[in-house]
Amino acid sequence: MRLGYDEKTEAFRDQFVAWLEANLPDPLLTAERPTSSAGVPEWARQFQRQMFDDGWLSPAYPSELGGRNADLFEQMVYLEELGRRHVTRSFNPQGLGIVSASIVSFGNEEQIERWAVPIMRAEKTAALGMSEPGAGSDLAALATRAVLDGDHFVVNGQKVWTSGAHDADVLLVFVRTDPEAPKHKGISALIVETDTPGLDRRPFPDLGGPDHVDFNEVFFDDVLVPSTNLVGDLNDGWRICNGALAHERAMLWVMWSQSLDNMLDDALAELNGTSHADDDVVLDRLGRSIMDSHAIRLLGHRQLAKQQRGLVPAELSILKLMGSEAQQDLAALILETLGAAALDQAVDSTLRFPYENDRGAVSWSDRYLFTFAGTISGGTSEIQRNIVAERVLGLPRG
Amino acid sequence: MDFELTDDQLELQRIARDVLDREAPASLARDIAEGSGSADELWATLTSLDWPALCLPEPVGGLGHGWVELAVLLEEMGRHVAPGPFAATAAQFVPAVRHAGTLDQQERFLAPVAAAGATGTLAVDEGAGTWDLDQIRASATRDGDSFVLSGIKCFVVDGASAEEIAVVVRVDGGLRVVVVPGEAVAARELNPIDATTRHATIDLEGVRVGHDRLLVGSDSDDVVVRAVQEATVGVAASTLGACQRILDLNLDHARERQQFGVPIGSFQAVKHKLVDMYCLVERTRALVYFAALVFDSDDGRRAIATSMAKAGAGECQQRCVQDGLQLFGGIGYTWEHELQLFLRRAKVGELHFGSSSSHRRIIARCAMSAP
Repeated sequence: MRLGYDEKTEAFRDQFVAWLEANLPDPLLTAERPTSSAGVPEWARQFQRQMFDDGWLSPAYPSELGGRNADLFEQMVYLEELGRRHVTRSFNPQGLGIVSASIVSFGNEEQIERWAVPIMRAEKTAALGMSEPGAGSDLAALATRAVLDGDHFVVNGQKVWTSGAHDADVLLVFVRTDPEAPKHKGISALIVETDTPGLDRRPFPDLGGPDHVDFNEVFFDDVLVPSTNLVGDLNDGWRICNGALAHERAMLWVMWSQSLDNMLDDALAELNGTSHADDDVVLDRLGRSIMDSHAIRLLGHRQLAKQQRGLVPAELSILKLMGSEAQQDLAALILETLGAAALDQAVDSTLRFPYENDRGAVSWSDRYLFTFAGTISGGTSEIQRNIVAERVLGLPRG
Repeated sequence: MDFELTDDQLELQRIARDVLDREAPASLARDIAEGSGSADELWATLTSLDWPALCLPEPVGGLGHGWVELAVLLEEMGRHVAPGPFAATAAQFVPAVRHAGTLDQQERFLAPVAAAGATGTLAVDEGAGTWDLDQIRASATRDGDSFVLSGIKCFVVDGASAEEIAVVVRVDGGLRVVVVPGEAVAARELNPIDATTRHATIDLEGVRVGHDRLLVGSDSDDVVVRAVQEATVGVAASTLGACQRILDLNLDHARERQQFGVPIGSFQAVKHKLVDMYCLVERTRALVYFAALVFDSDDGRRAIATSMAKAGAGECQQRCVQDGLQLFGGIGYTWEHELQLFLRRAKVGELHFGSSSSHRRIIARCAMSAP
């Protein structure tokens, strides 16, 4: 156990910091904000492309895929430096983190060349078609049907909550290809270009307001998808669904940790110097949030150290649960503490953090509401608890 | 950072667990609670295995291990609800002498610990139950070749049995530590909820000790602060171990106990409580070992790290004791079941060295004043 990193890792950090300082875009050019999680402004596309070309977009990858074969500790200091500067490396997070990553892990050379690299270079953006009206927490019950007919799949059905689909060039869609098989064993993953005839995207606003449009319903009406767009093996899609994040899994927790830290920084700035800073009740609850932020970071580091030693860490499975709930608790505390003042629009954070994937000013009440994206999406907190109970604690399935 | 135990530390953990599995079964704690047992034999065994010397510096005959190793041992002691003087000696008395004493004084008071398992403890609180150093009123006054003490000390772990007691007093207004022979003070042992964590009120009024028993390695209050911080994390580590055992017992119970034809662990209402306990145990472990690392690294975050470890352990025991007892149902509500021994150890950890809420306020103040 040690608090610091070794020299090799620190040298890697220095190298990245030097690159960042030379290549961060002029803040004056960042006024254009993203329109959705696949609606990426041109300056952010250019920056992402620069990161890829210089081997700093996905450091764990080899150079031809935008990386430099970094080990886990090097990836960690890389993310620390991005977080410290509030730099979002891709404004199309599902595209980079899930769609291109899945194609790299499970697709073939041609698919990597045709889709993964353009997504990583922000020439294309991508969205992820998983949930359906009848398949949320029970994702494996998905019913969108794909029937192989010659050299095409014919796709019919509906997806929902498909973030950024209306701005995306391609979708990674999970479909049912064998309705006779047990539900986990009849699923496949297809890449679908969004300009394919029969595909209809209907964006709808989320809790953030009528102009906060990211979600989509996506309808498939006899959509013809070339069979070469199948990622991985036929009926092996559930493995992709679970493994989509495999190469990023060691690092995904950092997002939870950093967004909690950011919220905590804002909360401390909000309270410091006010009478709330002497209120024992506020301090008591704030203390708990500070412990959460430290504990999540420390647990993340512990699983990292275990993975670096070739062990399979159990900690990973609780970080999303803990991180999303800790943010909700903290936002609720600030909301309650500030009272009516929390209802006003806060200062536009994009002015302070021009490289962060934010869309504009939000109040603390908005921030509280947005924390539910964390406790609902990507597996609700209740589903996370079931997963931890069964996979980590060895409790029987209900 | 590298936040996982090294291979050597994992080996130490394995050995400690094996020794305590063998030498400190739960029946020992029960025998002590029922008045028929003694911790003496366990202490003799641990001494023969060099436990008291393990984390002492080499110049006084120690093996030179650090706080991470000490936390490993304390966590295992808690996990086994092991009785005896180890915790108070290693995590309370030793830090006080190490930080406040001169090299000669360290040799004088710590060499017997390393060589023969001499025992000690630390006396801080004076009845408020807050361990707040600002409230220290006990004093030592110079009189010729000796110091005369006044005041009382409360909740002193092993206060009626330790051979030496490091007592925090005021000398000319500053915080100092004076090492008082246990036999020189009148100690009244309290009846604690955890029979394996004995504590006492000790009366210092008029007690006279040689002037060389005042630790004079430093004239800064900070050495006293530091000793109390380390003692606080020691309590957190032991509490963590007790909570881990409560969780383990509950997991076994939930897998085995059948109702309505299925194991109760298949019910979500049970699962979710167990997951919450698990999350809090892991959160606490992270915070306890962070504090240990901070102590070992001479890092500036001692105050916040200490309070996070202690408040973490406190929040963890609250959940583990409450849900751990609830999920066991009727069998957990008996004297006969071993669960109660661990519940008591976990609970006593909340009450010693400051409550969770007092430590959370310290955490928030530290964070507010940080740049």
